[in-house]
This record gives sequence, C-alpha cells and structure tokens, in this order.
Amino acid sequence: MAIPGFCFRRLIYPGYNRIIVRQNVFVQNVNFKNFVRSFSNGEAPEYDLVVLGGGSGGLAAAKEASGLGAKVAVLDFVKPTPIGTKWGLGGTCVNVGCIPKKLMHQAALLGEAIHDAQAYGWQLEPQAIKNDWASLRQAVQNHIKSVNWVTRVELRDKKVEYINGHGIFKDPRTVHTVIKQGERTLTAKYFIIAVGGRPRYPNIPGAVEYGITSDDIFSLEKEPGKTLVVGAGYIGLECAGFLNGLGYDATVMVRSVVLREFDQQMAQIITASMQEKGVKFLFKCLPQSIEKLPDDKLLVKWKNACGEEFSDTFDTVLFAIGRKALTRELHLDKAGVQVVGEGEKIDVSDEQTNVPHIFAVGDVLHKKPELTPVAIHAGKLLARRLFGGATDTMDYQNVATTVFSPLEYGCVGLSEEIALNKYGPDEIEVYHAYYKPTEFFVPQRSIAHCYLKVIALRNGDQKVLGLHFIGPHAGEVIQGFAAAIKCHLTVPALMSTVGIHPTVAEEFTRINITKRSGKDPNPQSCCS
Amino acid sequence: MSVMHVNSVIIRNSTLFSLLKHVKVLKPCSNVLKSLGRTRHISNTNSLNKIITIDNDDDFMLKVMNSDNPVIVNFHAEWCEPCHILTPKMKELIEPNNNVDLAIVDVESHAELVHTFEVKAVPAVIAVRNGLVVDKFVGLVDANMIENLISKLDKKKQT
Repeated sequence: MAIPGFCFRRLIYPGYNRIIVRQNVFVQNVNFKNFVRSFSNGEAPEYDLVVLGGGSGGLAAAKEASGLGAKVAVLDFVKPTPIGTKWGLGGTCVNVGCIPKKLMHQAALLGEAIHDAQAYGWQLEPQAIKNDWASLRQAVQNHIKSVNWVTRVELRDKKVEYINGHGIFKDPRTVHTVIKQGERTLTAKYFIIAVGGRPRYPNIPGAVEYGITSDDIFSLEKEPGKTLVVGAGYIGLECAGFLNGLGYDATVMVRSVVLREFDQQMAQIITASMQEKGVKFLFKCLPQSIEKLPDDKLLVKWKNACGEEFSDTFDTVLFAIGRKALTRELHLDKAGVQVVGEGEKIDVSDEQTNVPHIFAVGDVLHKKPELTPVAIHAGKLLARRLFGGATDTMDYQNVATTVFSPLEYGCVGLSEEIALNKYGPDEIEVYHAYYKPTEFFVPQRSIAHCYLKVIALRNGDQKVLGLHFIGPHAGEVIQGFAAAIKCHLTVPALMSTVGIHPTVAEEFTRINITKRSGKDPNPQSCCS
Repeated sequence: MSVMHVNSVIIRNSTLFSLLKHVKVLKPCSNVLKSLGRTRHISNTNSLNKIITIDNDDDFMLKVMNSDNPVIVNFHAEWCEPCHILTPKMKELIEPNNNVDLAIVDVESHAELVHTFEVKAVPAVIAVRNGLVVDKFVGLVDANMIENLISKLDKKKQT
C-alpha cells in the first residue's frame, strides 16, 4: 500500500512488519497470532463476532454468542437463482431445504394415506383426489415466510444485528458489504464463515437457461408436470419421490450409483421401493443438452454407459447433481483463509481455520456431514468456547440422518462397506430382517422393502457400529437409537430391550438372524 | 360524499394529519379524495372509517397511544392463514361500534412496533386505551371473545 513518503519510518520485527505513520500503527502480518489493527484514534474492533451467513450454523452461533454477552452482527444475502428465485433470512434449511422438503414429502404421504383410507372404511373416491400445486406451494411458502419473520424477531430480541448484504473480506480483520442504504465496513475480534452452499449446474447447453434446482422447486409458479431429476443423491431422490407422490411423472437420471455416500445395499432397496411406487430410473446416464420446444416443453438428450443416445420431452428438468460451497465469493484470499479440493471447502480443526481468529461451520466445511443439526450444534459449541469459556468440542461421529424418500431410510453410524473395510469381515456381525408394519396389511401396501440391519463388532462387548432402517417414520425410529449409540449400545443390550408393540421400531429389538448364517431374513408371522 | 363522520382517519402523510387532528368532520382535500378514490370499491359507506392505517411509529403514537378512543390493534401478516380469518372478522365486529377503533399493523413493515409490544406470533391483538395496553390475545379466537373485548373497551369509555 502506498503511503506518503514523509512522516513514516519502517521497522522490521521478527514475526511482523510494522509501518508507523504519524500516530497510526499498522500491523500487517496475517499469521501473527494476536493481530491488532488500530485506527487513527486507536479503535478496537467494532464487533466481538461477525457471522457471514444467516443459516442454521450462522444464526445458532450468533444467538448463542449474543446470549453470552458478545456484540454480534450477522450478514445474510441470497443471490437470486438463474430464474430469479430468492428468499429471506434463515438459510438453506428453512427456505429451500429441510423445511419445505418435509412439507412436500408429507403432502405426498397424505396422498398415499388417502388411498389407504378407503380400505379402513373411509367413504371417498380416491380416483377423484388430486393435488393442487398452487395451494401446496402457497401453504409451504406461507410457512417459510412465517419462519423468516420469527427468525428476524428472534435476532432482534437477542440483540444480534442483522445486515442484509453480501460480505467479503478486505483483510483478515475487515469485512465489507454493500447494502440498500450504502456501504458498511465491519471489523471484529472473531469471524465465523457459515455461508453454506448452492446447487451446481452441469456444463451442458441449456442447463442454466432451462433447468431448475432445489432452490426453485419449492416456490415454482407453474406446476412441475412431467419432471426429470438429474442426480440420485438424497436431494434428487427426495424431490423425485414427492413429485411422484403428488401425481407427476418423475424420472431420476443416475450418473454412477444411487445415494453414493450411503450404505449401498440400503440404497438399492430404496431404489427398488421408489420404482415400485412408479418413479422411473435411468441408470448410468449423463445428460447432453436441453432444448426448449415451441410448446414450451423441454427436450432432453442423454447418453447411457454404452454411448447410445436417447431423448425425451419433460415439463421440468431439476438438477440435483451436488452442491458447491460459497467460499469463492468471500475473497478468502484477502483474509488468508485456505480452501481445499475442487469443492473449495474449508478444512477446520474444531471449527478453526488456518487463520486463528476466523472460524467456519456448516456446509462450507470439508469432510463433515452437511446437515442442519450438525451446523447448529457446532455453531453453539463454538460460540460457547469463544465467549463462554467452555471446552466442549463438536463430535461429528455417529450423526444420525434420514433420507425422506417415499419409503424413508434412516441410519446412524457406519455403513456396512465402511465397517467391513475398517474391521474386516471376520470382526463384523450383521443382523438383518425384513418386517411387516401392521398398518400395511389392511390396505395391502407392499412390505417388500421394509428392511433393517444392525452392524456390530462380532467379539468383545459386541458394540453396535451402525443401524440402518427402511420403513415408515424412519427419522422418528432412528433418533432414539442415535442416543443409544452415543451410550455405547451393544448387541446384547439391544436384544434385551423389550419392544413396544405394535410398532416398526421394535423390530430392532427382535433381531436374531445374521447375514453370516445365510438364513432367510423374511418374517414368518408377527408377534412370535 | 363531501362530508363524513369519522372516528378514525386514513392518513397518507403527517402534515395532513396535523391539519385534521382537531377536525371532527372531514373536509374533502386532494389527499383524502385520492385515498378514497383508491378504495372506491367500498363505495360510500362507513366501513372504511373505522380502520386506522399506520404509516410509521409517530403515526402510531398519535393515532393509537394518544387517541381519545380506545383502539384495538391487530398485528397481521400476509402469510398467516389465521390472520386472513381474524382480520376481516375484527373489521366486521368493530364496524358498528362508534367508540372503538381498529388499527391494522402489518408485522413485516413495522418491526419496531412488533418489538415494542413483544409480538411473538400472529395474529396478535392488543387493546389500547389512554396509552395503556389493557388486554391482549394471541392466535385465532372466536367471535365471542372479540365481542367481549370490544364491549369491555366500549363500556369503560362510557363510564
């Protein structure tokens, strides 16, 4: 930086460079631990904590810190999607993630339930029951807006300053943002990067112009119609699942495997259950292009693994091929924060980046589960360590999660592949069973995919390493077992637990057939 | 339509308000005519007279806290389904009562008021008389409860 030649002298000290200009002292070294930037009148940083990102992780940390007496500001900004969708405070989960997803999943489940109801004596014509997209969309958006509002009120009550602007680093201690009223520069003792991620678009013609993502589906003006979902991770499956349940023709295009990060046997069962419900799958296919036809439909061309070309028309094409962290937009180089890998995520140690006073939580983190409760928990614990003198650190192991496909898949702990890899087949015992939910009999719902398995150590205390469950209410079923795993659940303990009857969760207490035995895991009958 | 009895005022700017503050009879003037023109679909009835529109905090102070009449303040949000049921109901029930006014506050545009009155959920209704909050309820309630609230305010006014 250029400083007028008069009135300065330059001193070199080990560890940092110091340039003294009149009364101003500028200390410039990003690796210097107790970095202090003083201004002409010797100001301390304006805030104790500035949080970049008003989502699950950011808000949890901000509110906790403020409660502990820190002066906190949160910057949140949503760049509109290519088709112009934007949303309010709360982050991905509240606006375009967990919350609207669960509501639409519920809408689809209710559609199924209506059909089952007739078997239970309810007098109605299931054929006449249709879903109105506009009503569903309105109900979902109303709920989201109410959550946006409550979030803002909460921030206000907890005295956290909310700035609706995109923050970028000017240097390790300064963030700059442009807002409606002008510009703001914020200095802080600590920063937390919690900017999350956004869906990726593939690099094919027509993707950005004609495709949408999960950012758009929950507020889509026109009804989705016949939809192609490109991507078979949990987002793709969940979207295809509820769209199918609402009555739309849904197809999933899979590049390699379904639910790549999950237990593959369970992934296959989920795929089969979705196919049974009418979702079509295109395996090992890659989209080549999207064109708009004169009647406004979309012509999609794709190739399969053998190089054969196909095409079909759809009303909507939804890309769910992965998410990228929004780190590039922060100008992290100005702060000295390093990113790793193609995804440009941040590698942290107890949420601390390579710059000691800059931290990160949530989806921006490298190799950590991208889940709301993980971000919230990590954010809270971090705030307590920074301002409350606490020492508890976040445990990222054994985090339970659920895929809200039409028939849900809940799991906690290791997948079978990882367990076998880590311990070897001789050290692992896998108990498994197919089961029949009582409620499915009357409407004759398919029980072919109601399956669970318990992965445990074969020797010693037979510690349970992982639990996997496919069936209704999988999230509710697995949650309690996540606590059990935290308490070092063992197979004997599980087997000696008396089940609640009739439930689906009790099937975990009834496990007795191992994969090793080769016996048929299908149930003979209930209750014995 | 040149003269109306009003118990409340539709304010579009505060200078107009200060003019009309002490005026019992509303004389037509461009701003008022303009606002009436906007609500022409309601025609020449008194239905619009009871509803106070709040433009800013000063407005609120003048028209609610410093009002001669007791005022029922309805915190409303567009995305709130119960509000869409309660607000019209409130309008309908306060309509015939000349002593009690109704102010509708959109929570999205009045964060300060929301904070001041500790509104945590909508719909929220507070009853203000002589600058004091005398009653409050949250959530959708039946017509009986609203009527009780109105008559409570009305009765006190008459004594």
